[in-house]
Amino acid sequence: MNGPVRRVAIGVFASFCVLLLAVTWIQVVHADTLKADPRNARPALSERGKERGLIVTLDGTVVAESVVDPMDPRSFVRTYPEGEAFAHIVGYNSFLVGDSGLEDAYASVLRSKRDLTISDLISVILGRDLRPHSLEMTVNGPLQRAAYEALAGQTGAVVALDPKTGAVLAAVSSPSFDPESLLGEDAQAMWDSLLADPESPLSDRATKELFAPGSTFKTVVTATALDTGEADPSTEFADPLEYELEGSTGTISNFNGGFCEDGDTVTLLVAFVRSCNTIFADLSVRLGAEDIGITVAALGFNTDLDFPWTVPLATYPVEDLVDDPAALAQSGIGERDVRATPLHMAMVASAVANQGFVPSPYLVNRVFDADGNTVESTEPLSLGRAMAPATASILAQMMERVVTDGTGSNATVPDVRVAGKTGTAEGAGDGPHAWFIGFAPVEDPTIAIAVLIAGGGDFGESATGGAVAAPIAADLISLWLKGTQ
Amino acid sequence: MTRNAEGATVVAASVLAGFGVTLVNFAREQSVDAQTALTFLVFLIAFGGLHLAVRTWAPRATPLLIAPITALTALGFIEIYRLDPVKAGLQRWWMLIAAGAAVAVLALFARSSTTILRRYRNITLLVSLILLVLPNLPTDWGFPLKGLVVNGSRLWIVLDIGFTTLQFQPAELAKLGFVIYLAAYLADHQKALREARRHLGPIPFPEPRQLIPLVLTWLVSILILVSQRDLGASLLLFAGFVLLLYAATGTSGYLVAGGFMAAAGGVASYFMFDHVQRRVIAWLAPFQHYDDEGYQIAQGLFGMGTGSLSGAGPGLGRPDLIPNASTDFIFAAVGEELGFAGTVSVLALFSLVIAVGLGISFRSRDMFRKLLAAGLTFVFAVQTLLIIGGVVRVVPLTGITLPFMSYGGSALVGNLILIALLLRISHEEAT
Repeated sequence: MNGPVRRVAIGVFASFCVLLLAVTWIQVVHADTLKADPRNARPALSERGKERGLIVTLDGTVVAESVVDPMDPRSFVRTYPEGEAFAHIVGYNSFLVGDSGLEDAYASVLRSKRDLTISDLISVILGRDLRPHSLEMTVNGPLQRAAYEALAGQTGAVVALDPKTGAVLAAVSSPSFDPESLLGEDAQAMWDSLLADPESPLSDRATKELFAPGSTFKTVVTATALDTGEADPSTEFADPLEYELEGSTGTISNFNGGFCEDGDTVTLLVAFVRSCNTIFADLSVRLGAEDIGITVAALGFNTDLDFPWTVPLATYPVEDLVDDPAALAQSGIGERDVRATPLHMAMVASAVANQGFVPSPYLVNRVFDADGNTVESTEPLSLGRAMAPATASILAQMMERVVTDGTGSNATVPDVRVAGKTGTAEGAGDGPHAWFIGFAPVEDPTIAIAVLIAGGGDFGESATGGAVAAPIAADLISLWLKGTQ
Repeated sequence: MTRNAEGATVVAASVLAGFGVTLVNFAREQSVDAQTALTFLVFLIAFGGLHLAVRTWAPRATPLLIAPITALTALGFIEIYRLDPVKAGLQRWWMLIAAGAAVAVLALFARSSTTILRRYRNITLLVSLILLVLPNLPTDWGFPLKGLVVNGSRLWIVLDIGFTTLQFQPAELAKLGFVIYLAAYLADHQKALREARRHLGPIPFPEPRQLIPLVLTWLVSILILVSQRDLGASLLLFAGFVLLLYAATGTSGYLVAGGFMAAAGGVASYFMFDHVQRRVIAWLAPFQHYDDEGYQIAQGLFGMGTGSLSGAGPGLGRPDLIPNASTDFIFAAVGEELGFAGTVSVLALFSLVIAVGLGISFRSRDMFRKLLAAGLTFVFAVQTLLIIGGVVRVVPLTGITLPFMSYGGSALVGNLILIALLLRISHEEAT
């Protein structure tokens, strides 16, 4: 009689074994996949309301902080006391729209290690510190704030580097947004309206957008010319009214439409100081895409940067230019398909300031624990040498002449030797992209800067790098040198 | 294990319930309140009372049943409390009522024997059928006993006793009645049913006349399905009955025929009811139908996966994201907050209850008691396997409750009476 019952029992317990296998599959084997599924809100929900580490600037300005939620004393809310000026680099940690900037890139550092009651208890017994770690940025608070204010709502960006180390002193994109507006219950609506804004305030123009560098790229072409010995500052060039593009009916003329100097001959120095397109189109073709390509590659174009987030590749398409002298000529004045982020152009200025060494830019100086002890600090890194020291020194002098006698006169700072190069690239929309890249003081540079006003800014069609971008650079250099002396 | 050890385990499981409630409170408010003591006391009164009743009226009963069911109820209660403290308060009342019912069953048989049920099998059947159709009473007539429609299905009755109303699912009791009837019928007709006179291919087959109980139970199951749209309860009864028929006769033809009938019923219901179709879709591809049919299953899997080995901790996970977490998906809630450790414990405790139930059947000499113990355990086992299997995606979800763990008073009453009957049988068969 017990035979059938026993057989049913075997069936029942076999079924229990199947359930056990299924539970093992779900909770052990497959657990991480289920946990990581984007539709599974639990991991994000468990982060919500937990304390996160601080983000501070090198001078001690607090730019991100978790404070006790006034509505619920057991949980925390994130605040960004410096708001718009730091929005793109600091980013946000939003439950509804996700993370960005350093909040995203350093999420595992900033996150609270507090987890489960029992495992926390064990950690406390073992003496582990559960408090979240914090970040110290390389950024200088007052400089960052001043840069944001100097852009005055115009579409553009400012990047300032320590030319010797690559430490980012300021990285500002404008227009910006209030990161705290993306934390609340109406974050999604706010996000949607920011996305729909034609000025795209969410875009980080300093480190994540590419622009044609225009005449600021002439520094690169000049470096190649000096390095290869093809020309020196006193080398004479013919001074035509227009440069005729090879294999094309098009021409390149100077910015004001006239001769560079007097229609006879002109030196490289004068052509550089006056930013003459005709001469640099000619020089670019004489140098060839391969030689310029060597300088460009050494400056970190076409290679990934080690930055907290992906910086789009600065491009100079050597292969496309080898057999296309017309495009090569246009590329020599930073047009056509040449592209770089303001961050990258600040690196170019740094290389000139730093005897040809290209610093690897970095944004986080150190990670520290809740007691302020350093957990991890960044060692400055060089990407290598992009030009000979003599080239860098001659180029620096030429760039100083741009500010003293040329297109960059608006970058003049009293009693400071400023070197720079302006650029006015054909932009999209209302006006040109107005650039200024430079560094100061020339004798011992402590700041390299790139200023970009995209689409002409408040000047619209009449904008030039010298008129729009150079004064901003002058103000910031002046502020920086006052602060460091 | 002795009776004293059983008592100690009941106290330990009551402490577990109180401790779990404390952890949930601590996770939520970082404070301890009266819920801890209240929970501990209610568990102690309900299950301690059952323990004392067994000492008094069934002293030779196995000491291995009350301990695991107290632990299961405690684990379920922690999650119910975590999901909805108000429901947990109601569940505490139901615990006392259910334990009272179980004690009453033990007291009722104290002077007689469960074998008297065999004599009243036809009355039991009639009462069970009446209980089953009771929810079809008008919902708005003057009589204090009314039907009630919840979520589109008629599973409930409401008893208006003036100052308050009681809601009950009579099918939970009818289920026991059918098992008693079938055990009695099979004990009486066992020999005739066992005579396999015909053959269908290699499979021995009884006389068609002897198939009447099988057909009858099949019809009852279909009645449940059609009148209450409750595929789970229907499948549960039918599977339990077929297994009991097989246990009584040893004729595997019943399993084969029953399997075919269940399959036919399943296929037919798939085409007849869209909620059955939705459940099959959710079972096959929950993540592809995440926004619709698959949401509940997917959330359950997310919860259990996130709980991983040790779980989030009571009150620290988010089982509230799973629809119907406190009823159908209580197993997933345990998996999320108590982890793999919790789910394996639950499976082990259920296995223990079933093993003890089948052990009682093994050792019974009286055929009726043997079949009754087997039948009660089968129904319990099939119910457990179906709902956990549905939650962990081994079978389609059938929407029945997990015994002792899910929120719900009627099920608790029915299952504690089931345990009381098993205890009584084990007492009567002990030497």
